[in-house]
Amino acid sequence: MTVHDLSEGEVFASLSGVSKFYGNFAALKDVSITLRRGEVHMLLGENGAGKSTLVSLLIGANKPNEGTRILCGRACPNLTPLEARESGVNAVLQDFGLAPSMTALENYALGREQTRGGFLEKAAMRAGMMRSMETLGVAVDPDARVDTLTRAEQQLLEIVRALGGKPGALILDEPTATLSHDESEHLFSTVEVLKKEGWAILYISHRMEEIRRLGAVVTILRDGRFVSFHRLAEVTNEQMIAEMVGREIAHFYPQIPHTPGHAVLEVKGLCAGHKIKNVSFEVRAGEIVGLGGLVGCGKAEVARAIFGLQAIDGGNIVLDGESIKAHSPAAMLKCGMVYLPQDRRGEALALNRPIAENMAIEVLGDAGYAPAGFVRTAALMKLVNGLLARLKVQPAEPDKPVQELSGGNQQKVVLGRALSRKRNLYMFDEPTAGIDVGARLDFYHQLHRLCAEGAAILLITSDLQELVHLSHRVHVMHEGSCTASLQGDGINEESVIAYAFGETPQKDLQ
Amino acid sequence: MTLLRSQAGAKPSAGINAVSTLLTFGALPVVLVICVVVFQLGNPRFLSSANMLNILQQAVFLMLIAFGQMLVLLAGGFDLSVGSVVALTSIISAQVMVAVSLAYPDAPALAVGAGFVATILVGLICGLINGLGVAVLKVNAFVVTLATASIFRGVTLVISQGLQVSGLPRDFVYGIGSGFFLGLPVSFFFALPALLAVFLLVRQMRFGRYIYAIGSNIRSAMVAGVNINRYLIACYMLCATITAFAGWLLTARVSSGEPLLGGEFPLNSIAAAVIGGCSLRGGEGSPVGVFMGVVFITVLANGMDLLRIGSNYQMIVLGIVLVGAVVLDRYRLASAAKR
Repeated sequence: MTVHDLSEGEVFASLSGVSKFYGNFAALKDVSITLRRGEVHMLLGENGAGKSTLVSLLIGANKPNEGTRILCGRACPNLTPLEARESGVNAVLQDFGLAPSMTALENYALGREQTRGGFLEKAAMRAGMMRSMETLGVAVDPDARVDTLTRAEQQLLEIVRALGGKPGALILDEPTATLSHDESEHLFSTVEVLKKEGWAILYISHRMEEIRRLGAVVTILRDGRFVSFHRLAEVTNEQMIAEMVGREIAHFYPQIPHTPGHAVLEVKGLCAGHKIKNVSFEVRAGEIVGLGGLVGCGKAEVARAIFGLQAIDGGNIVLDGESIKAHSPAAMLKCGMVYLPQDRRGEALALNRPIAENMAIEVLGDAGYAPAGFVRTAALMKLVNGLLARLKVQPAEPDKPVQELSGGNQQKVVLGRALSRKRNLYMFDEPTAGIDVGARLDFYHQLHRLCAEGAAILLITSDLQELVHLSHRVHVMHEGSCTASLQGDGINEESVIAYAFGETPQKDLQ
Repeated sequence: MTLLRSQAGAKPSAGINAVSTLLTFGALPVVLVICVVVFQLGNPRFLSSANMLNILQQAVFLMLIAFGQMLVLLAGGFDLSVGSVVALTSIISAQVMVAVSLAYPDAPALAVGAGFVATILVGLICGLINGLGVAVLKVNAFVVTLATASIFRGVTLVISQGLQVSGLPRDFVYGIGSGFFLGLPVSFFFALPALLAVFLLVRQMRFGRYIYAIGSNIRSAMVAGVNINRYLIACYMLCATITAFAGWLLTARVSSGEPLLGGEFPLNSIAAAVIGGCSLRGGEGSPVGVFMGVVFITVLANGMDLLRIGSNYQMIVLGIVLVGAVVLDRYRLASAAKR
């Protein structure tokens, strides 16, 4: 078989009976998977189920301790990442492998620059990139430095870069986690195009909607072991979730009672740069207010501005009836506000520090944890161990550096910090990005509890279902302005999408 | 699930524990033991109590400065001005002590006390300048402290006109500089509280948690409510102050104010810290590691002295050792990540 033989259904790559051990910990045990050309293969599992390890075997980043790895009909026990890429295995992982200070085009061509006589053929490379982008129907400025691109654009660039290589397999690890609705649509049509062109696609996702929509077959892992393989047409969502979690799940989104009290947070005519234009809303005690909209609509910036991470040009922020003057994260934390940032590696975690230090940093300013500046280790460990158990962080070792955890477990550490102090106002920016069903449910229950205890909660999320099902009231933003305030039966996916695109839904006109 | 948990929860055996503890400090303890054996074979006087006291006396100054350097390194910066701070302290404290003892010849303690106060002031001011440059002006620590190293050295030479300051109080030179108490050098007892304070600050106090957080990821520390500027400035001030203190003790040891004192300290203190496990990218390192790094460098210098290896060759060896330590450190991190 040659690489360019794209006949549909043919096996491109397979792992059979592979295991991967770290010490005596089995990250993967006796797992098999087959990627076929022209087929979208969904991979499901909770955080730590072994999905990332499986991917690392496919892309040659790791060597299986047991089992065989076959690529293009050839057993490759000692595959290197370079060989994998040259055989056509392309991966778009959660942590992008882009060089931030180089341009999009330079990154696109990195490692396979076209040259003539030692000189770069920039025009040819640019043309190649343009062609790939056209196939996908996307546009990324080739001359923009990568660190000036949004996360969504960086991800698209990764996919475009993958397309520039040999056609083969494309591995997408939770690609929509940071994408907005229309960007996700772009991605879906891209996947469809690639499927038709005979690519074998391995797609990792926690979102049932896209699993159903794109996938042909699905493999479910749990605790590093193979659980099941299904054709998607022959399996229900409930069954998949049950197999993934290992138990039945009755109600995915909890019914959280709405008992609004006094206004905890009032935002009046907030303006900041050109990202936020005259935004006003309030969040009351005992309610969850959702903030929806496309990526880049300014919803994330609203929380950043409130928390003091972004300068404010105009407007007023009122906390518990008092107008805020001193405006910095430290001051806002003192006022009883909790903020969970979206950018977990950039703004939330000290990656080389242990879990315990990451979770228990905000509490150090509170009474009882560091009297006279001396840290009370026992009290902190009790708090951290409680959070680790509650959020089921794997592995639950407080001394482990955060960088050794999987992405989902890192997010749980961030969540743990947000939940480490009982406060009256919580702002969550994409709190469930990349975490598994079990942790998600647990987070929803924590939300339920906080809300019942009278906390005011601002939930900023690109997960439409989460927004619609959890929020008591929803504000939708479009290009920096609030375009709609929905509540009760008015909260549904259709109207949120319509307002997010700056349209007015039909039924409201009647 | 049960399988994973039972494996993760299983207590590792004592042997694995010992190995992983050793790995925390890299190959340093092993290399140190090898050095001791080699030096002892080369010169039987190496392990004599007289030479051990000698090593202790030599190590005190670098230990103080390396502990200061560690604070800055943990917070993600570094301080190249420590050598110039030592020289500036030496000149200013010496001039103050000479002036006071001329004015009040009957009160040597007053002169020494005034010298100490001048020392602390010099440290605080130098550190404040470094800290403001890094935290408020947001200039790279390398540039700021390289510049202030030049400035402080220049000020030292202007004030001293390049000349030594002699005529220091006898109590200072013979008491603090070369005196013994309970069989140990007096300067050791002076240094101990300062070292202990840094240890507590880093390992037991909120301050330590915050500077690790800042060094590891300054943005996440800010989001977590840490007052970045306050802690950065505090680190540079503490570093310069403890360095000035070491400069003052060193002045007593060399028995005069020296405008060219301390040139080796920027390299040696960073080398000791890095050999002891501090990361130049911040957020990593421990006082115990730095302690061992300083012991290693001091033992190496002392041993080479006893083997009659010239100081020019010693500089070459130190450079090689520093690179070796960094390379070993990288391997250690890589193997730790794999575990």
